[in-house]
Amino acid sequence: MSTEIMVKKLPNDIGGTGCSDDKIEIYERNLYPWEKRCHALLDVLDYYKIVNTEEKRRGTENIGAEMVAKLTYYEKWIVSASNCLLQKGILSPDDIAVKTKEVAKRYDVKL
Amino acid sequence: MVKTIEHEPAKFKEGEIISVIEKFPIGHYRTPTYVRGKQGIISRNLGKYINPETEAFGKNAGSKMWYYMVRFVQKDLWDNYVGQETDELEIEIFENWLEAIN
Amino acid sequence: MTHNHPHDHTPIVQEEKPGYYEILEISVRELMIEKGRITADDIRKQIELLDSRSPVLGQQLVVRAWTDADFKKRLLENGNAAAEEMDITIYDDTAFTVLEDTPQLHHMIVCTLCSCYPRAVLGLPPDWYKSKQYRSRAVKEPRSVLAEFGTIIPDEIRIIINDSTANQRYMVLPLRPEGTEDFTKEELEKLVTRDTMIGVTIPKII
Repeated sequence: MSTEIMVKKLPNDIGGTGCSDDKIEIYERNLYPWEKRCHALLDVLDYYKIVNTEEKRRGTENIGAEMVAKLTYYEKWIVSASNCLLQKGILSPDDIAVKTKEVAKRYDVKL
Repeated sequence: MVKTIEHEPAKFKEGEIISVIEKFPIGHYRTPTYVRGKQGIISRNLGKYINPETEAFGKNAGSKMWYYMVRFVQKDLWDNYVGQETDELEIEIFENWLEAIN
Repeated sequence: MTHNHPHDHTPIVQEEKPGYYEILEISVRELMIEKGRITADDIRKQIELLDSRSPVLGQQLVVRAWTDADFKKRLLENGNAAAEEMDITIYDDTAFTVLEDTPQLHHMIVCTLCSCYPRAVLGLPPDWYKSKQYRSRAVKEPRSVLAEFGTIIPDEIRIIINDSTANQRYMVLPLRPEGTEDFTKEELEKLVTRDTMIGVTIPKII
């Protein structure tokens, strides 16, 4: 089976692919505080053109269909921001490894 | 002497019938598959903006590209469209995706 | 409003311990501050800005357009400038574009590729607007999607759906309902819910 469609078509390119079986879950909720901080972080990164909004969008697409489906909206944003910052050499993989370990310890959470 | 950058004039005019090119970029695009190869009409010239395809790879400034509001008749976009004959869709499309109908 | 899901999504109390993604968010933010690229104040101010925007702003624009024909004209010609008249700055450099409903025409908005939404005048979008279901169906079967919101648009009325892919950010200017000629500004504002400015519902006198 040809895999090329996975390369040619982005996983967010879904206009017209749904049907009436795909019921829309209609509800209201407030953002979790971390989600709002995440939104603010990406806005600030765009303001300074450290990671622009289009780069952020690309980063939420190029993680592949499985992650696009399984991560929530803001989970994709923070993964995108991390990957963009790594690609630009602003952060290193070890920066993230060391800092997340420190933050996890601060909250007594196991990574 | 200061060199002025002359931007290309807009290729398409309001009211012009165009077709969306069928092509397959890799990496990032903002022209969804569902409009490619379809015929629509330019409803508005939206001016120039940085091409999002290159903006997504870090290009924050530099030459901008014309983009347009394009209108399609829904029954031209979808087989078995459920709705009215007169229902339409509007979408912003950059110039590198459009070609004139001969 | 109908909830067609079995459990309440509103977090009453946030879990005490952060999950992985929150840890990542805290880490990236702190690293960027330590490296001097952004400040904690930048983040704080942006959160305040986000919190300051809600559908109340869109409501004000709609009601002013309903009651002031010259303003409506300016709003339709240049949304950014008209919003600025009412001290609503479109802070993200997007082109705020108002789509006018008429007795023959109903508008709806969607962003099939991501979640473009007029945040500067409506605040943050609901989860459903960003959902795969809404984004994958709205362009192909708008009338079926409208029905899920309890909205039936008569056959004689044309629907135009706008898919945001670039710099425009759309807001629907819904049709002022008949029988509201003597309504006060406050009564008119009550008719203009967030969903009427996305175009999935129409203003109703209850």
